[in-house]
Amino acid sequence: MKLVITLVFLGSSVSVSQNAREILQKAIDVMYGKKTYTVITMTITKPTWNRTVSMKAWSIEPDYSIVYITEPARDKGSVTLKRKQEVWNWLPTIQKTIKIPPSMMLASWMGSDFTNDDLVRQSSVVEDYEHSLLGKERYEGYDCYKIQLIPKPEAGVVWGRIITWISEKEYMQLKEEFYDEDDNLVRTLLGSKPKNFDGHVIPSLVEMIPHNKPGNMTSFETKELDFDVVLSTEFFSLQNMTRIR
Amino acid sequence: MKYYFLFAWRNLWRNKRRTLLATSSIFFAVTLTLLLAALNYGQDDDTMRMSVSLSTGYLQVQGNGYWEERSFDQSFELTDSLQRTLLRHPHITTVNPRIESVALVSRGAETRISPVIGIDPETEHAMTGLKKRVVRGTYLADTSRGILIAEGLAARLHLDVGDSVVLFSQGYQGTTAAQELTIAGILHFPIPKMNDAMVFLALPKAQEFFNAANRVTSIALMIDDPKEYRAVQSSLSRGLESQLVVMSWEEMLPEIVQAIALNDAGSVIIFSVFYVVIAFGVFGTVMMMTLERTREFGLLISLGMRRGKLLLVTTLEAILVSMIGAIAGLAVSIPIVLYFHHHPIHIWGELAKAYEAYGFEPIMSVNADASLFYSQTIIVFVIALVSSLYPLLFIRKIKPVSAIQGRGGIK
Repeated sequence: MKLVITLVFLGSSVSVSQNAREILQKAIDVMYGKKTYTVITMTITKPTWNRTVSMKAWSIEPDYSIVYITEPARDKGSVTLKRKQEVWNWLPTIQKTIKIPPSMMLASWMGSDFTNDDLVRQSSVVEDYEHSLLGKERYEGYDCYKIQLIPKPEAGVVWGRIITWISEKEYMQLKEEFYDEDDNLVRTLLGSKPKNFDGHVIPSLVEMIPHNKPGNMTSFETKELDFDVVLSTEFFSLQNMTRIR
Repeated sequence: MKYYFLFAWRNLWRNKRRTLLATSSIFFAVTLTLLLAALNYGQDDDTMRMSVSLSTGYLQVQGNGYWEERSFDQSFELTDSLQRTLLRHPHITTVNPRIESVALVSRGAETRISPVIGIDPETEHAMTGLKKRVVRGTYLADTSRGILIAEGLAARLHLDVGDSVVLFSQGYQGTTAAQELTIAGILHFPIPKMNDAMVFLALPKAQEFFNAANRVTSIALMIDDPKEYRAVQSSLSRGLESQLVVMSWEEMLPEIVQAIALNDAGSVIIFSVFYVVIAFGVFGTVMMMTLERTREFGLLISLGMRRGKLLLVTTLEAILVSMIGAIAGLAVSIPIVLYFHHHPIHIWGELAKAYEAYGFEPIMSVNADASLFYSQTIIVFVIALVSSLYPLLFIRKIKPVSAIQGRGGIK
């Protein structure tokens, strides 16, 4: 009975006070924080091989981040720096910094199913899309808002539309479907294994399944996540990129 | 029947000059169309052969799906047994393994994207003549650790021989491939797209760079008889492991197939015009000859020769004339075509320079397919025969009195 009341209450409060954009913004606030430090293990699954890459990352959302590779040993010390729309790479083996040219932005990042462009673009979901609440759906035991994102005409977005499932209680993004301009499902993001990091409950495992490449998958497992780290934009400099450990 | 044949044969030689005129018009028609067709199809052969040898080869062994995905996931190991299988094939003359990808080429703040190809230096040169493209520095050897870089790319990055440059890419299985390499030589390509972005490494060095020990992305194959590529393709496909496929130049170079089809479409128009001219030429000769023989035909009919028999004799004459002309044409053009087939025509002057700049041999090949000979000969023969049937119409309508009196034979 209590549950029903809660649901009714939540439902009414949603329809009155929350629109899709606010829900999404809230989910992003929960997920990303402003200044974070995180330890992540990325697993790339291909039909014939697997690769696991571990990394540490510092970021100031949405414009700055530095990713330091700790594993595998061969790539240890490689650094990717994102500064607004630019992506730079530090290659410790040859002690050189390389800027990724615009034409390479759609190439795969570290052999994963993500592109350099995905790194740069991540956070514009609020600004570049029109949002609408399609309704509510139960997903994996969570009551979720189902929100549709349609890119604004002026936004340089490759997707035709995105549908995302955000849990009502924790504002976790549990599922995201990306459709191309012909409305074919191109990739799905799945969030699972929620964990509490610094008071934020977020899915610690995110899997990305590209539908045009059967047998391929990239997953991210968050091992450590600190919100509100002391960071300034000077940290994200080309000089610091070469010094970071 | 024998007598009619004899009759026709004698008729031909009764007026040698007339017969000679008729046969020579057919003779020239056959000779000219044959030579023209041989040159035209020879040009197709040249286009195909040169494009193929400069790029893909007639056939390529690739990992299944490589052509669409272009990823190291479809690369394969260059085993001795695979190489032996290919080399043992009776038609294969060149086995040219390559490892190919795209890399960032960077110096200082400047970065460009370029295809990077690992080659077996000697084999690559034998196939594409790459060594001749070196304008500064030296070509690669098997053990070279340096790179060859296209002139345009070098200029944009302000690089020259001896400078070092960073190559950054993704290697086999998602590994990071990054090295600083020294420029051994600068290459000039006449095709701007290649001149602006192209990097070559020796195969072992490239495999090390891409962390793909002993792996390649393709093996280009040259064969001794270009016409046999489909047969070689299917015989090879059967013997290979399942993850490998054999692709033909037609599948890899659709633009060349289109260029050849376009050239052929153009020549169909030219040939059609040519055939019409031939038809009218032969028809004119035959008509003149028929009119000249009006009195003769009229006389024969009034003497009691059946029109049917007369028709038979003139038909035989027409066949004989066409055949003599066609055979004479063949007799003259076959040796010419065969000679030029084995001794291609060398182009000189400005055109030759243009050819050479593109890496093409400055020659015009002549096609000597048997099909060419009989198709052209049959076409001209049929045209000649149809044109020579005019007398038949004439004889059917002829009025002996009018013919003998020299009033035209019809009225």
